[in-house]
Amino acid sequence: MNPLLLVIMIVFGIAAILTVVRIAIGPSILDRAVASDVLLTEVICVLGAEMAINHHTRTLPVLLIVAAVGVFGSISVARYVARRDNTTP
Amino acid sequence: MTLFDLRIPDAVIDVTVWVLVLFGALLCLTAAIGLLRFRDVPTRLHAATKPQVLGLLVICIAIALSQRSVIGIVLGVVLVIPVLLMQFATAPLSAHMVGRQAYRNGTIDRRSLVVDELADSTETPPAAGG
Repeated sequence: MNPLLLVIMIVFGIAAILTVVRIAIGPSILDRAVASDVLLTEVICVLGAEMAINHHTRTLPVLLIVAAVGVFGSISVARYVARRDNTTP
Repeated sequence: MTLFDLRIPDAVIDVTVWVLVLFGALLCLTAAIGLLRFRDVPTRLHAATKPQVLGLLVICIAIALSQRSVIGIVLGVVLVIPVLLMQFATAPLSAHMVGRQAYRNGTIDRRSLVVDELADSTETPPAAGG
């Protein structure tokens, strides 16, 4: 195995693990929404890296759909998250 | 032999693609570290939006370059442009929504704000969804 490929896989894996840690410990729901958005973008990056390394373009439609639909998650969480208080200044 | 039949040497393409993918992976790692180390939602949004989108841009360039021939690279650029446009359009949108809701929700560190232009408006504007 190409050592550079191993380095790339380890870097992507560490990034995913750190993001999952933030999803687990995130104090508020908005932190978790932001972290899951980052995780989704990282899935897009991994799919794209696999395409670039193996010289094909077969998963580009998946990339496009995930990039188009992924925004609705964090938008709907941000839209309907409960306000803690709206009376005290 | 026209321009479109021109083939770039494989070694050049390979090295460029590896370096670009490694750079994109490191940007993803930067985003994750920032997400873990920053202290409240708006600062975490910095990490969530900027390095991620740049990493995706770099990886999309790598996808286009990995198609070897000039006509393949042009076709690859045409194929990855919708993905990039979609990401460029939606990342600020979700960051804006999450940041605004974080301000209203009180999950930000108010003492660290230098200028607080939203402090004057105590009432929620109509159709703000809050």
